[in-house]
Amino acid sequence: MSSLIQQVINGLSLGSVYALIAVGYSLVYSVLLFSNFAHGGFLVIGGYICYYSLLKGGANIWVASLAALLGAGISAMAVERMAYKPIRERTPITLYMLIASMGMSIVIENIFVVTIGGRFRALPPVIPMQTVNVFGVASTSASDLLSLVTAVVFLVGLQLFLSKTKWGLAIRAASYSLRTAGLMGVNVNLLISLVFFVAGLLAAIGGIFLSARYSLYPQLGVITTKAFVAAVIGGLGSLPGAVVGSLILGLAEMLAAGFLSSQFRDLIVFGLLIITLIVRPTGLFGKSVGEKV
Amino acid sequence: MIGNAGPESDRVIMSVRNLSVDYGAIRALKGVSLDVRRGEIAAVIGANGAGKSTLMAAIMGDARRSGGQILLDGTPLPERSYQVVSAGVSLSPEGRKLFAPLTVRENLEIGAFPLKNRGEMSEQMSRVYSLFPRLEERASQYAGTLSGGEQQMLAIGRALMARPRVLLLDEPSLGLAPIIITEIFKELDAINKTLGMTILIVEQNARKALMLSHRAYVLQTGVITMEGSSKDLLGNPEIEEAYLGGRKRQNT
Repeated sequence: MSSLIQQVINGLSLGSVYALIAVGYSLVYSVLLFSNFAHGGFLVIGGYICYYSLLKGGANIWVASLAALLGAGISAMAVERMAYKPIRERTPITLYMLIASMGMSIVIENIFVVTIGGRFRALPPVIPMQTVNVFGVASTSASDLLSLVTAVVFLVGLQLFLSKTKWGLAIRAASYSLRTAGLMGVNVNLLISLVFFVAGLLAAIGGIFLSARYSLYPQLGVITTKAFVAAVIGGLGSLPGAVVGSLILGLAEMLAAGFLSSQFRDLIVFGLLIITLIVRPTGLFGKSVGEKV
Repeated sequence: MIGNAGPESDRVIMSVRNLSVDYGAIRALKGVSLDVRRGEIAAVIGANGAGKSTLMAAIMGDARRSGGQILLDGTPLPERSYQVVSAGVSLSPEGRKLFAPLTVRENLEIGAFPLKNRGEMSEQMSRVYSLFPRLEERASQYAGTLSGGEQQMLAIGRALMARPRVLLLDEPSLGLAPIIITEIFKELDAINKTLGMTILIVEQNARKALMLSHRAYVLQTGVITMEGSSKDLLGNPEIEEAYLGGRKRQNT
């Protein structure tokens, strides 16, 4: 029983990190309708900024995290300006942006390989790792609880931003029709920059926790594949879908690792993806737009 | 019908000068010029594919102008949509283009995006609600669940939320039952009279548009072929033949 609870907590924690990545990815998808494969790059950028601020800058974890979040957010905006904006201004075909994003993903990864090398780095022990007893029924690591709490805080914050603010409303409108949002007086270039900033920022949080949990290396962004899968299971473009899909995935992975074998983790992940695509191709919260014509 | 203060040029609020738009190799608008006078309803009628929606898109900065100029109160209208709306021109687009998964209130709020603060917005919202009480009743309903007529009211209300100096309407009759069209056009007349709102409307339903408007232009394959007071155009046999269903129908 206690090991079940422990695996559930681990699963939710991992799922919440996926959720941070998947939500940003889904947000970009919902506005620009393409899969941004460079999204994993933002996570790596955040991880390295945090690493170097701690190690070379002598910053504490709060300052380092803030630098990582802002740095990744700004990098995401820069990637959009450099690689996607010229394309979307010329053609409505989003496939080109998808291809450009694959290119940008390789570029970002290799910038790190070339400049600081491809070796694995461990984040200094700034995130508490000791074992915590949960209500006397199970034990888990403090970092798992911390990442769960942080993810919840940021996801709730995102939800409040989207539902309560003027720009949040504009983003929701744009995710239905970017063009019409523009006709309503929304500066769409600014809106897209904002969306990328938020996506980069959320990815950086995921990057920090992942590099604390595992280790930091230029290909860490590959883990975004899991977040993509989660977003697809939840329904592409849907934010609640991305969160629910991520939690399901995290739970499935951890339960499989705990009770079957950790070799089954990826099998379960992609099995779930295939089942979703067969049974419900639009995902759990897929957009079934109801508009009377 | 309209106040006759000042010379002609003072009364022009929006002036389209020699406007051209190209879609690739196709020239959709070939040097279109028209004026909208303060406080009037001007109409552009024409068949499918005449370039009516392109004209609207070009004014709104949604289609790239390849030549010509648009002046609002004598100053050039900016080329990007959000600046056009801030400058005082807003559009109720063809096919309404509501944000279906947002509520009626949220649709109105997004229409008010260029306004400075929430106070201005709620003031304008109560103005729109008093024009269309049905929208207030349905404020928290999703826009996609409204009836066709209500959707059109919402599209017009949403455009009014930006407090435009000129309101553009693209095919407000599209896809609506005749009785609903009559209702919508009655509302448009009221918006013009009670708010003093200047309106430029493009319509395929030429009869309705001519009956509503003060002056009208006929757009044919990207060129303005005729202009005049709407009353004159309604009685013009050529217009009758081409746009009002010929002489067989004697119900004018």
